Amino acid sequence: MKKVDKTVIKETKFVAMWVIIFSALMQAVFLIINKWDYTVLLGNLLSGFCGVLSFFVLGLTIIKAISSGDTAYAKKMMRASQALRTFLMLAACLAGALAPCFNIWATVIPVMFPRLSLLIRSFTVKQMGPFDTSAAETAHATEITEAEPTDDKKEVDRVE
Amino acid sequence: MLELAIGIILGCCALGAGMAMIAGIGPGIGEGNAVARACEAIGRQPEAKGSITSTLFVGCAIAETTGLYALVIAILLIFVAPDMLVNILTSTLG
Repeated sequence: MKKVDKTVIKETKFVAMWVIIFSALMQAVFLIINKWDYTVLLGNLLSGFCGVLSFFVLGLTIIKAISSGDTAYAKKMMRASQALRTFLMLAACLAGALAPCFNIWATVIPVMFPRLSLLIRSFTVKQMGPFDTSAAETAHATEITEAEPTDDKKEVDRVE
Repeated sequence: MLELAIGIILGCCALGAGMAMIAGIGPGIGEGNAVARACEAIGRQPEAKGSITSTLFVGCAIAETTGLYALVIAILLIFVAPDMLVNILTSTLG
């Protein structure tokens, strides 16, 4: 079995953790407004699982597309993956709307939870530091330093 | 008259759901372009692969949000809105 990239696992863990937290909050809200029953729990489980699965598949597709190195192939792969993931979410929402054992609101609302968790990630990005661009910036700076001197610099050298 | 009004409500809900799903086209194209550019960037600067992948990962997920919002709105327009609007109509007309 092929090993899954550690970035994908890390991001998926983060998203799954926040989906669980948001789900607990949603269950609490349903309890407070006195509308909680087992359909709320089942709907929440269904769409929460599908949301996290969709995010995980997105990560796997990105890693595969990037490692292919071919831009046209990467484009096609991402489009196909996006269509399939949308169908997955559509199937989950349809099941929530049509099957009587799922509450439609409890099925539809958790679809947003992975995106809400990414919003939180953008706030906590400095603490967690996933976007470590220092290597890239250093390499870029080195490239600029080693690049050919500009016209102004040539002019100064000539005057001197 | 009431049947006509209910028919118009149902038709408008279906039209709205269809129009909402037009937004589902954009994220696929956008994600494809983003990954293609990321491939080029990694080709130019292989040492930045980690940061590019991480940024791309979050960016793609956020780009997909539009499509999911459209999907949710379409589902609500098809399964929730008609009943709600018809109830409002019938209660208003008595």
